[in-house]
Amino acid sequence: MTAFFRVFFVGGLIAYRALFNWIRPAVYIPTMLIGPLFQILFFAYLGRYSGLRNDAFFVVGNAVQSSAMSSVFAGTMAIANERQFQTLSPLLASPANRFALFMGRSLPVIVSGLFVSAWGFVMGRLLLDFHPPLASIPALALVTLVSVVSGTAFGLTIGSVGMRARDVFMSANIAYYIMWLLCGVNIPLDSLPSWLAQIGRLMPLTHGIAAAREVAAGASLGSASGLVWTEAGVAAAWGTLAFTLVHWFELEGRRRASLETY
Amino acid sequence: MRVARLLLAGLRFHFKSLTLSWFFILTSVFMPLVVATVSYYMFRAGGKPGTLFYASLGAAVYGIWSSTLFGSGGAIQWQRWQGTLEVIVSAPAPFILVVLPLTIATSSIGVYSLTSTLLWGRFAFGIPFYLEHPLAFVVAVPATILGLGLLGLLFASTFVLYRHANALSNMLEWPVLLVTGMLVPLSLLPGWSHPIAWLLAPTWGVRAIREAALGGTPWPDVGVTLALGAAYLALGALFLRYFEVAARKHATLSLT
Amino acid sequence: MSAIEARELRRTYKTSTGVFRRRTLEVEAVRGVSFEVAEGELFGLLGPNGAGKTTTIKMLITLLIPTSGTARVLALDVVKDAREVRKRIGYVFGGERGLYERLSGLDNLRYFAELYAVPPRDQKGRIAELLDLVGLTGREKERVEGYSRGMRQRLHIARGLLHDPPVVFLDEPTIGVDPVGARELRHTISSLTAAGKTVLLTTHYMFEADELCNRIAVINKGEIVAEGTPRDLKEIVADRTVIEIEAFGASDDAIDRLRRAPGVTSVAVEEREHAQVLLVQSAKGLELTQSLLGLLDGATIGRVAAREPTLEDAYVALVEQDPEPGLSLHAAGAPQ
Repeated sequence: MTAFFRVFFVGGLIAYRALFNWIRPAVYIPTMLIGPLFQILFFAYLGRYSGLRNDAFFVVGNAVQSSAMSSVFAGTMAIANERQFQTLSPLLASPANRFALFMGRSLPVIVSGLFVSAWGFVMGRLLLDFHPPLASIPALALVTLVSVVSGTAFGLTIGSVGMRARDVFMSANIAYYIMWLLCGVNIPLDSLPSWLAQIGRLMPLTHGIAAAREVAAGASLGSASGLVWTEAGVAAAWGTLAFTLVHWFELEGRRRASLETY
Repeated sequence: MRVARLLLAGLRFHFKSLTLSWFFILTSVFMPLVVATVSYYMFRAGGKPGTLFYASLGAAVYGIWSSTLFGSGGAIQWQRWQGTLEVIVSAPAPFILVVLPLTIATSSIGVYSLTSTLLWGRFAFGIPFYLEHPLAFVVAVPATILGLGLLGLLFASTFVLYRHANALSNMLEWPVLLVTGMLVPLSLLPGWSHPIAWLLAPTWGVRAIREAALGGTPWPDVGVTLALGAAYLALGALFLRYFEVAARKHATLSLT
Repeated sequence: MSAIEARELRRTYKTSTGVFRRRTLEVEAVRGVSFEVAEGELFGLLGPNGAGKTTTIKMLITLLIPTSGTARVLALDVVKDAREVRKRIGYVFGGERGLYERLSGLDNLRYFAELYAVPPRDQKGRIAELLDLVGLTGREKERVEGYSRGMRQRLHIARGLLHDPPVVFLDEPTIGVDPVGARELRHTISSLTAAGKTVLLTTHYMFEADELCNRIAVINKGEIVAEGTPRDLKEIVADRTVIEIEAFGASDDAIDRLRRAPGVTSVAVEEREHAQVLLVQSAKGLELTQSLLGLLDGATIGRVAAREPTLEDAYVALVEQDPEPGLSLHAAGAPQ
């Protein structure tokens, strides 16, 4: 939601000198836990009202999507903030392996994303008509993990574009809204015009959500494996793009001394 | 007279300032459009086409709510970040007369959202637009904006004190959307949530707007919206006084 | 009646550290500050960063409530009569922030004029006058986000004077302004007192303090360490000589040795581009130059000169020492 964006940008991004100041419980709980909980409730009820009574569909979609809030924005910020705080140059000048560097920063984000999704699933189970078989939980966890990684990789790509472009948070927000519409969170892909559905298939979360829905309905991980592998592939693709861009912009930046121009 | 001048000047000033802020417009307009789109798809898929206009109006009011919440909570935080919170607190004008136009300006930005949501519904989804009681509609919209703006004042008064209050405001967006029946009718929600809904201006505002458009008795709803607004004003004024002093004690007016 | 009166002002801040296990620390930023400013006086408050200047001013302009102690502006208590105080003061905090970026300078001033209750029929004229005074005429319709640092500073000053307040607080008003503009601003500031206003000024520029202020107080680590006219303050170091040594590559150790050398009271280091200028204070007549140069063994030495101390040296002497002073000057009179 725009919530995350607000916490950071409007909340005084510059003022919070630490990159992940939001970990403070007073901020984390309302934004990452209460908000998404009501998001799930809202769509489940909306689904009931519109005659599509299928709480499971909405719980899975929104629970996985709520991890995107942290993964996309945090992925963006992992790179964009460094630039904003002008720590990017010293960072890239270090001999540390790029992959390790950014993966390291993404790790707390991924853990947080998993936690938020898990919370969504549990709440859905307790408050709505959602009853995944116990046996499906490990598979569900795995599928969610892949989706969260995928979302983070996407975020890193947006962030790396932010190495050159201004106003990266605008792009991050627009991307976030587009994900809302096209990843099958609340609207099945076949309800969308085909060209939009095609875009949706290139985005993170789409296949993960579809796989999660199958698994939660009782399908085995094996039968959903096609979707899971596709999601992993999407994650790898976005991740590769992110690192390529970082590498390229870094070289360019060194050549043109534009790393810290804003 | 001076009070009127101050309020009007503040309203014009902040409305202009917000209009020129890309991210505020983006979040105030885009997100409601996304929610509206999702609703339209869901209603269509579920086979309830008659309710599309109903959803359209609900999404439009959600837009006003979204910009109020973001604006009132975020705006205080934004003032703090911009360094202007201290400046306005140290001015001799009573603080409430400074904050009130700010929150009303944020809910007025909802007009952009209202327009875009209705237009989007009309042109992208073919949702017709008609008004059973045009006069009531024309009154209900500003009344809703006013009612919501005053609710925003209540929020803003707490944000003066707490640095992270905007996290709380973020948290309120979905719950209020759900509970006030903007898109999901109250009849579908558990009975214990209804009293909460009745205390919130958006519930009555959206009811007024919908009844003005689709037919019904909008005027009592307009009345309740305004009455609730008056209650928020009284409470907000009280909170604002208290919190301003507390903010000066705990040094939370600035970032450092 | 004094225009500004501070009595034993104290202010403690609570800060918290740590992410998961939060610890709160109490920092006493202002520790019993007292001073008085007479009507029509131009009073300077000097001190290093973090000394408590800003906190003290914020208490006087009603933005912070003192932890203890009292303050009055024009005999009105800053806590109990905050609103009345606000009507009578203007303050200018410099820097980039504090203005509405997306709107023009003129819009900003018009809005603040309303907030400060400037009578409607006077607003237009007053704004035009102030724009002229600070040299922004012709640029007022541009958006503030496009303003340079110096222009923002001037707009701040115009804002602070909108309601013609009898008491004005200026925090580093010429910082970031080009030399010509700064000179004009200083001229404006002195004209304020000529018009009968009381001004409290903070600045880092000693020559500015020397030029403008009737009286000065030096604050360090939350306490006032000296107070008096510029001349009185210079008296503190009147019995000293300052030896300026231009050094290339003087190590921190070498500088420490200088500090501990017999007869040396303080050493201030000014960083220039390739060199450092060491300002060594010592008692007059000690002829220390040779021994000092000997201690700087290993560094290349450029110019060496001895001179009379200035207000800046007095300031350095006051803030470089520990809070148990061998040296202080208070309003009552002579150096101790």
